Amino acid sequence: MEFAEFYGTERDRCLRAVLVVVGDRPLAEDLVAEAFTRAWTAWSKVRRHPAPRAWVVRTALNVRVSWWRRRKREVALGEADDVPVADADPGVDPRLLALLRGLPPRQREVIVFRVLLDLDTEQTARELGMARGTVTAHLSRAVAALRAQLVTEPGEGGS
Amino acid sequence: MNEHDLHDPDAPAVLDALRDSMDGVTMSTPLELIVATGRARRTRRRLATGATAVVVAGGVALGLTTYANPAAAPPAAGDALHIQTVAYTVDRTATGTLVVTWDKERYAADRTGLEAALRAAGFPVLIRIGEFCAGPGEDPTLDPYGVASGVGAVMRADGGADGRVTFTFDPAAMPAGKQLFIGYLNDAQLAVTGGAPGSVERLVPTGVELTCTTVAPPRSPRKSGGEGDATTKRPADPKAPGDRPSDRPTGDPKTK
Repeated sequence: MEFAEFYGTERDRCLRAVLVVVGDRPLAEDLVAEAFTRAWTAWSKVRRHPAPRAWVVRTALNVRVSWWRRRKREVALGEADDVPVADADPGVDPRLLALLRGLPPRQREVIVFRVLLDLDTEQTARELGMARGTVTAHLSRAVAALRAQLVTEPGEGGS
Repeated sequence: MNEHDLHDPDAPAVLDALRDSMDGVTMSTPLELIVATGRARRTRRRLATGATAVVVAGGVALGLTTYANPAAAPPAAGDALHIQTVAYTVDRTATGTLVVTWDKERYAADRTGLEAALRAAGFPVLIRIGEFCAGPGEDPTLDPYGVASGVGAVMRADGGADGRVTFTFDPAAMPAGKQLFIGYLNDAQLAVTGGAPGSVERLVPTGVELTCTTVAPPRSPRKSGGEGDATTKRPADPKAPGDRPSDRPTGDPKTK
């Protein structure tokens, strides 16, 4: 696969995954752009990765940590993770984003890699460094937590 | 994704709804920007790696040389050395003389780098901007070009056709216990001297506390009477070629 094709097919998926973690659309876009830039410079290696899009997301999140550390040195921050999500992005329901970011970190990571990046259980387990059964368990719990918010029960809504 | 490993019968619907709810999130960064950024970064990295390799190679050679020689002795004449940065170059000739060139405009931005490079090459030097140092009890007298006695033996300035000033340093001629002090006038001081002198050079002792002042030397009398062009003398151009008696051909009527 050529880089241009990879970027065209994976960029939105990677952005959504990163957005769920960082909760800030402009920041997510910057991080993903940076990660894709690094992927371009190391494309001969990245293209052989079993899941290049997972490489991009992992890189974006690592970049976020380094940016955050750098910023922390420059200005005193409180909880950098607590990015307001109310007006995070017009393209996504802020309540959904808040709900996802309210999940425990490991459940959220499983959602990101298993659902948004569409990796299988084996790949997700490898990316997150956990057992396959643990991936399934986290996913089940995350689904249970999301279900009430995302699934409209028969008879609800619409008039 | 295969969601059959989830026992919750609503799992597929939940996850589909999650995916659908994020359909509106799309990247706006064009591919061209990603590629252009990556290409520029790769180019910078190659240049930086090349420059670092050159400096490291020189540093390693010098380290071995210094180790093999007495502490006070300069590196052996035959040891190769080439350091090149955007601001200056340092080369050692076959006779052991160091040839240093630097860009007039960029020198001030990397004076510490030049200082470190010269020291690593075995030429003791101390560079300051806006202050002028001397050893205890030393004669503060400078010639009209800001040069103290003895400097000419270790340092010479020549000009190239490209406008660069080439300084030649001879570590073998440096008296024991001495180092070259170079003090460049800052902008305010240059406004007073009109660029003549643009710097002060003096041999000062090592290992003792120096006495420094921010009082710049007076304007060179050769500049008085409206002669010369103050704008041609910058801090990085302390001794323009031909500006010093030793650099001018005998009988050169030029005045600055």
